[in-house]
Amino acid sequence: MKRGGLQNYIIRRLFYAFLIAFGVVTITFILLRIGPSSPADKYLANISARTQDPSQVIEAVESRYGLDKPIYEQYFNYLVNLARGDWGWSFSTSMPVIELIKRHWIYSFQLILLSMLFASSLGILIGIYSAVKQYTRTDYIATFFSFIGISIPNFWLGIMLILVFSVQLGWFKTYYDTGLPMFSLANLKALILPVITLGTGMMAGYTRYARSSTLDNLRKDFVKTARAKGLPEHVVIGKHVLRNAILPIITIIMFDLAGVVFGGAYLTEIIFGIPGLGRVSFNAIFANDYPVVITITLIGAMVVLLTNLATDIVYTWLDPRIRYD
Amino acid sequence: MRRLSGIFGGRRNLLFGGLLLILLFIFLLDLLVVDRIFGPFVYFYLFFALLIIFYGIYPLYMNRRLTRYYWDRTRRHRLAVIGLGFIIFLVAVAILGPLLTQDPTKVDFPNKNLPPTGFSAEQSIYDRNTGQFITTETPGTWLHPLGTDDKGRDMLAMLVSGARISLQVGLMATLIAIFIGLIMGVVSAYLGGWVDNALMRFTDIMMTFPFFLLLVFIIFIFGPSLWFIILVIGLTGWTGTARLVRSEALSLRTRDFIMAAKSLGASDRRIVFRHLIPNVLSSVIVIATLSIPGVILAEAALSFIGLGDPTVTSWGLVLHAGQRSLDTAWWIAVEPGIMLFLTVLAFNFLGDGIRDAFDPRSQL
Amino acid sequence: MKGKLNNTILQVSELKTYFFTRLGVVKAVDGVSFGLKKGECLCLVGESGCGKTATALSVLRLIDSPPGRIVGGEIRYHGEDLLQSSGARLRQIRGNRIAMIFQDPQSSLNPVFTVGDQIMEPIRLHLKLGKQQARERALNLMEQVGIPQAKERMRYYPHQFSGGMKQRAMIAAALSCDPEILIADEPTTALDTTIKAQILDIFRNLKQERNMSIIFITHDLGTVAGIADRIIVMYGGRIAEAGSVLDIFDQPKHPYTWGLLNCLPSISERREKMTPIPGVIPSLIDSPEGCIFYPRCQWHMPVCQQKRPEEYVISGEHIAACHLYK
Repeated sequence: MKRGGLQNYIIRRLFYAFLIAFGVVTITFILLRIGPSSPADKYLANISARTQDPSQVIEAVESRYGLDKPIYEQYFNYLVNLARGDWGWSFSTSMPVIELIKRHWIYSFQLILLSMLFASSLGILIGIYSAVKQYTRTDYIATFFSFIGISIPNFWLGIMLILVFSVQLGWFKTYYDTGLPMFSLANLKALILPVITLGTGMMAGYTRYARSSTLDNLRKDFVKTARAKGLPEHVVIGKHVLRNAILPIITIIMFDLAGVVFGGAYLTEIIFGIPGLGRVSFNAIFANDYPVVITITLIGAMVVLLTNLATDIVYTWLDPRIRYD
Repeated sequence: MRRLSGIFGGRRNLLFGGLLLILLFIFLLDLLVVDRIFGPFVYFYLFFALLIIFYGIYPLYMNRRLTRYYWDRTRRHRLAVIGLGFIIFLVAVAILGPLLTQDPTKVDFPNKNLPPTGFSAEQSIYDRNTGQFITTETPGTWLHPLGTDDKGRDMLAMLVSGARISLQVGLMATLIAIFIGLIMGVVSAYLGGWVDNALMRFTDIMMTFPFFLLLVFIIFIFGPSLWFIILVIGLTGWTGTARLVRSEALSLRTRDFIMAAKSLGASDRRIVFRHLIPNVLSSVIVIATLSIPGVILAEAALSFIGLGDPTVTSWGLVLHAGQRSLDTAWWIAVEPGIMLFLTVLAFNFLGDGIRDAFDPRSQL
Repeated sequence: MKGKLNNTILQVSELKTYFFTRLGVVKAVDGVSFGLKKGECLCLVGESGCGKTATALSVLRLIDSPPGRIVGGEIRYHGEDLLQSSGARLRQIRGNRIAMIFQDPQSSLNPVFTVGDQIMEPIRLHLKLGKQQARERALNLMEQVGIPQAKERMRYYPHQFSGGMKQRAMIAAALSCDPEILIADEPTTALDTTIKAQILDIFRNLKQERNMSIIFITHDLGTVAGIADRIIVMYGGRIAEAGSVLDIFDQPKHPYTWGLLNCLPSISERREKMTPIPGVIPSLIDSPEGCIFYPRCQWHMPVCQQKRPEEYVISGEHIAACHLYK
């Protein structure tokens, strides 16, 4: 792949991502429509219960969502609405869904961002150190703790942390205070327990990946060559090994997003009462506010899609073997 | 008879298919004609039992030397053995426990919030006589060795019931996911071409959904019932397996022994069944063992947030109750969590040990 | 072999390198001694697993430290015992005074850095040159080893080079600081025959033009004939026979050497069958008390099983470790 090749690759990849987005949206639609008691019915029931003139409202909603029209029209409307940014109305909070999302996404974002920073920096460092000092006590301890870290159910960890640090010791509040300004130390303090909850499992996983990737590379011949040149050990590890080991680590971290991070963030928000998108979706479920639930699920998928795309491109750019084929 | 067995790829497959048909027949009979003697679970059990016997135990038995080799290597991993021991213990608890413990759903308000034996907790009880709250120290009793929850249900019984649920979910959902993933992966790798493309695009789409969000979404639409939860976890969790199986099968496909089989005139189906699948099987076993904890946690998380099957006492459900009583009855939250943690840890240990045992490059 | 001569720059005495594994102690190098003179090409020959690579790695202390360890002996470079040197001193010598290249150039080069970078690395480290000067020097080296279009190719990554080119690049990097000794571990084994010849030419030039001492490791006697001044035949972690090229090829004395030479297919002679050496390579874990070649030797005597043969002098510097020459 020559220089121009990278651009072509990006374009192809974008197109592909678009296809996948399309597939995601379609599957969501299918799932909705094959559900037994269509959430739409429940939604309607809820709306009509709250207004004076139910029949009018029902008509309005029906015509708006096109529930009375044939399936392919519904599908088409669905797609068009999504693209236009008209994501429905959340009756449980009395605002358009898009407004709801605008207000709450920042909380999820800060939680996830901080947790990933925490987890990846510590995890990678410990993993590399553990690999370099293989078979020593430090290695065994680190490995042991990483086993524990990936085995602890993170929602339980959250509760335990609350139990110990908030209930028994009283160092932290049990519930997240939204009144705090975003970039303040108090906000950071309030986020300590949630970040530890979400980040520990992630960190344990990253430690394992980093360790195994580093071990794989330590065995390789170019390490011997580097040493034979007289390079000091910290350059051998820090330059030669690291540059090779880091590539798969980054991809794994990014691709893990879908499974581990979002699910964990969802639970963490619920436990600590952080009003992020996870919690909003959760509340919406019990209020049968289904446009919210759909939208948030779709947003999750789209973020994953974009991150995968970005990771793919970054990886292709970073690994000379792929770039200069 | 020979032609028939030829079509199926062997007598064993024929027998399996036959028994499966019989099972299906009984199932339909039960569903439509008679009055539902067995719940759907029993059929699941029987199906998976058949699957495991025919495709798990029988091959292991026939290849005793191989089995012994792998077992020896696994045995050298002390942690894996500990994990296995715990799992066996858990299985025993799950099977025998309900016979020995009390009814986990029996509500007993006067005895609510009892701490485990050996601990004592402060409780504020409203004294009708004086009209005030009196704080007393309530010790645990041997009647409820692990205490009771806020409705007076025995913790030990609930934990035992939870063990049963978790193991069921873990085993069955994983089997579903592995099964689907295996088929997808092998078919995709072997047939190649547009089939491979299409299947992989589909896998990519499914992988883009965040696992837990998708789970929640589907349960939200369809409603929570245990067997449905198992089904859904299985139907959403196969993507990782499919990817891995496909890449392994692809690398195997170009290997010389497949070429050799082909040049000897083996048919496609034969190659797939007798050469490809057995070779990816070792990876599949590893993936399966390492997927079980994720599945168990998924079900627990669902129950924890309230989307689990409310008629079933699972560990997640107990945790859910425990969250409310953190300051008064801490044990309600601690105990199921410990069980979950230990179970997941055990499977992780075992899976890691098996993986090292199967990896020909690691010396053990 | 054990006496010091005036222009012996490297003297290895009773080197013992063992690997401590789960299955036992592998005595990869079990009492090896030799000397290397200035401008001399010494070839270490033997089958796979005889300890030649381990010996070479031991010189620069590049043995993987668990599970291996140099347990005894001395390696004196200009009188200084490298086995006792500090880490810093060792790093001064590596790549600078004594350089090493390895067998598989594909895996020996780091895939994520350009070839130019990797050649410049020791230059900037040891010679402390600036980037521009280092690059010029690297270009020079690349041309010397025969890499065409060096200026462009500097920016290439290893996977864009062919096998022969990669090996040349490795040699360039090794030569970059003008070392006194070059250790080459089977440098041509992974290459095609025609490329083999070209690379050997480079080595020959190095010896002639730079008066460089070379330790050349190989299992191929044909290669040896083309380049060696002296040969050491190793077996089972020990030296079987050592001497000049003429000594070994014309008057081989050790039964193992006889076996090796017999194995060579010959253009000039007419032979019915190829005669391999009967038996298998010994396990280096339970090394016997006596001669390690005993089980495969057709001329063995009772004493061979009991006592390990010393290195008996045949003539001048020609020695053989065999009881036949007591």
